[in-house]
Amino acid sequence: MTQQPFGEETRQSFDDTLDGIRRGTLELGALVLENTRRMSETILENRVDLAHEVVTADEEIDARYSDLEREVFEVLARQQPVAGDLRLLVSITRILYEIERSGDLAVNAAKGVIRREGYWLQPNLQSLLARMASATTDLFAKSLDALTDLDPTAGERLDIEDDVVDDLVAELYGAIGKASSEMEFELAVELSRVGRYMERIADHAVNIGEHVTFIVTGSFPADEDPAVTDEG
Amino acid sequence: MEEDQDMTDTTQAETEALVPRQGVVADGARQTSADDDHAIIFDVKDLDVYYGDFKAVGGVNLPIRQNEITAFIGPSGCGKTTVLRCFNRMNDLVEVARIEGAIDYHGVDLYGEGVDPVEVRRRIGMVFQKPNPFPKSIYDNIAFGPRIGGYSGNMDDLVEESLVRAALWDEVKDKLQESAFALSGGQQQRLCIARAIATSPDVVLMDEPCSALDPIATLRIEELMVELKQDYTIIIVTHNMQQAARVSDRTAFFTVDVKETGQRTGRLVEFDETGKLFTNPTEKATEDYITGRFG
Repeated sequence: MTQQPFGEETRQSFDDTLDGIRRGTLELGALVLENTRRMSETILENRVDLAHEVVTADEEIDARYSDLEREVFEVLARQQPVAGDLRLLVSITRILYEIERSGDLAVNAAKGVIRREGYWLQPNLQSLLARMASATTDLFAKSLDALTDLDPTAGERLDIEDDVVDDLVAELYGAIGKASSEMEFELAVELSRVGRYMERIADHAVNIGEHVTFIVTGSFPADEDPAVTDEG
Repeated sequence: MEEDQDMTDTTQAETEALVPRQGVVADGARQTSADDDHAIIFDVKDLDVYYGDFKAVGGVNLPIRQNEITAFIGPSGCGKTTVLRCFNRMNDLVEVARIEGAIDYHGVDLYGEGVDPVEVRRRIGMVFQKPNPFPKSIYDNIAFGPRIGGYSGNMDDLVEESLVRAALWDEVKDKLQESAFALSGGQQQRLCIARAIATSPDVVLMDEPCSALDPIATLRIEELMVELKQDYTIIIVTHNMQQAARVSDRTAFFTVDVKETGQRTGRLVEFDETGKLFTNPTEKATEDYITGRFG
């Protein structure tokens, strides 16, 4: 029976810093998730007042994103992390980007409501958009859960779940096509864009899952680097 | 001890190479990473090193590849220097030291019968923690070993070539007759490297070669090591993990187990390509050590 010659934690302050960065990243994710939900409501209820709230809320998201990114950059320079610490910090910079981009997409979708103030949606389109919004926010929430739990299977799992969103967006495009003769051209374009924004948010959620898998295992699912295979 | 060390990298029994010299890599083709095509120059097989009854390090299996830099890292007492000293039979100089297992060098048992340890140390040079130039001129520091070895070529050329290879020539070419002690610490260490390579070794062992140097001198030595691996095989023991990460192609991580009796025995935990070991080590003990969680 042998024992390790050492045994005391030696980098408590560094661990605290890493915890803080992870917590900050999750908080940023929670803000974006909240704004994504707000965006859904904006679109489904056609509420211009809420759309303005989405735009405003994104300012804090952008500010926090910059602060966190700067903090990670400084930790990389000062602590020269390796192994699991390095994987975590490098992945966090990429996860921060995925989160921040998702926030921007929510803003873009909300701005569509401001541009198309007072539109009326056919019930089937309304229902499709509601399902898409729900599936997208659900996937985004799951990506944050995966980061919280450091779930090694997240990449593969979320990629599979993303199929639901992909199917819905295809369905939405079809429905818009069918209804196009009965609605303004601009509205048809706007709705297509909203569908596309939500699809992209779901893609960012999948990327977050893949980064989580990399943090834990050191490789991407099926060795696919999301930054290479799926441009933002 | 100091005296033994001084003699080691300068003793030359003969100049005729029994072992084929390594091919020189073409200009510009600097190797920056581990390559499994590199021949195995040392094959360490089930190596145990004892000092009397005390097992200092045990169960080491390790291939060292030609024209690569292999780094040994690990906490104090893990046996990394002990293992390094086996490669040129430096432990022979410690009376109670003995090894079990084997180290093959180009397929020949380094500890086999009839192997001349002096010739071993000519081919496998060593650079030490503290720069240890002889109390002689810069020129004579380099010429000393080849002269003893009966070098018959042009000594001026050999001195110049050795100093050029050690990236010291430009700094000392106008003061070759001055005392080596007039040089800075970093220059002295490069002089020791020049002295080690003047006898045409095959391998250069480095035991904490930068621990007495400032960061700039350290980086110069590291740069030099990367240059030198085109012609030599380098094994370096370092406490500086960033140094291992920066310069080496492969890294061996050793640790020390403490028995309930208090006896401490070193062992090799993990050996892998340096890029892999520092981004995704296989063993938790490696991860804990290189991320500074323990130790």
